[in-house]
Amino acid sequence: MRPDDKTLSAYLDGELDASASLELEREMAQNPALRASYDRMRQLSAAVREKAEYYPSPTHHKIAPAERSRWVWLAPAFAFVLIVGFGLGVFLSQPGEEETTSNEIVASHVRATLANRLIDVASSDQHTVKPWLSSRLPFSPTVVDLSGDGFRLKGARLDYIGSQPVAALVYQRRQHMIDVFVWPSARDAQKTAYARDGFNIQHFARDGMRYWVVSDLNKNELDDFTKLIRGQSPN
Amino acid sequence: MLPYADAAYNLARWLTRNDHDADDVMQEAMLRAYKFYPGLRGEARPWLLAIVRNACWTWLGKNRPAELTLVDEPEADTPGPDVLLARELDRRMLNEAIASLPVPFREALVLRELEDLSYKQIAQIAEVPIGTVMSRLARARRMLAEKLSPTTAAPRLRVHK
Repeated sequence: MRPDDKTLSAYLDGELDASASLELEREMAQNPALRASYDRMRQLSAAVREKAEYYPSPTHHKIAPAERSRWVWLAPAFAFVLIVGFGLGVFLSQPGEEETTSNEIVASHVRATLANRLIDVASSDQHTVKPWLSSRLPFSPTVVDLSGDGFRLKGARLDYIGSQPVAALVYQRRQHMIDVFVWPSARDAQKTAYARDGFNIQHFARDGMRYWVVSDLNKNELDDFTKLIRGQSPN
Repeated sequence: MLPYADAAYNLARWLTRNDHDADDVMQEAMLRAYKFYPGLRGEARPWLLAIVRNACWTWLGKNRPAELTLVDEPEADTPGPDVLLARELDRRMLNEAIASLPVPFREALVLRELEDLSYKQIAQIAEVPIGTVMSRLARARRMLAEKLSPTTAAPRLRVHK
């Protein structure tokens, strides 16, 4: 029986197993026509390998379009992350508004205490202090007398916090001086309390005014004081 | 993978038979290749060729479905016709004859003769049994020989394109 094209073809490609190859070789040795058939097939295969076009890829497929476009994507993304990260770092390393203010408050309080320049207008009379302040400021802070609660009104001074003139009311509890900084504020804020450099600081905003209370008084008594200030602010 | 861009393009070019369409297919195939490259196990060249081959078939199915209609694959028992000797074969005639083979035979021939892949690798790329690869290659060679035989070559090739 004559082996078919498939067998010849597989033999040509070296895909025929050893025993089938041996058998085919034996047959070809005895059958010149079969041998000629195989030779033609081999000639053709050689011709294809030699003369068929091999189309090399255009360069744009070789320079990895996907990879390149990924980098094109990544470059602005990377730059964006860098800028945002840098900005965030600068932002985070800068003190927040509240921290800046509380620093200024403490500094002002300490400066005034050291220079013994706490009071510009010395009066325990709220009706003296309030007009004095409102004549020098673009706003009129509420001034209350808390002497009945153990916080004596000593007077007031003008100060400058956060790029604006503010009123500083001065109270005294035993030997402790209490500064209350007041200036207008658009929004209300819940009470927050800090301790900084041995000073207690309390902050809140209501009725269009922002209040910063600072003193070396202990926190509990300062809490009471702040409550009185809040409670007696006009509604 | 880039060293195999030539192999990939060559296959796409032979299956689509023109540069513009091969370029389209390559674009798609290379994107897929880069996407799935991290998952590659084994040899890169057959893997890439399989992706290109699939992209070609998808493209052909969409744009030239007639080329993918199944051709019967009869067994050839009679001796093949005489062919011109390799050195006498006209390069252009040979290329046109290969290009005129139906897609399944053309792809088997290109993968075997131009990429020198084994039957097993071709079977994996074309997603057919090894026996099918064997018969497609035999048939491809038979058809090629018929197109190139001195008596039939001229008229047949004039018909094509």
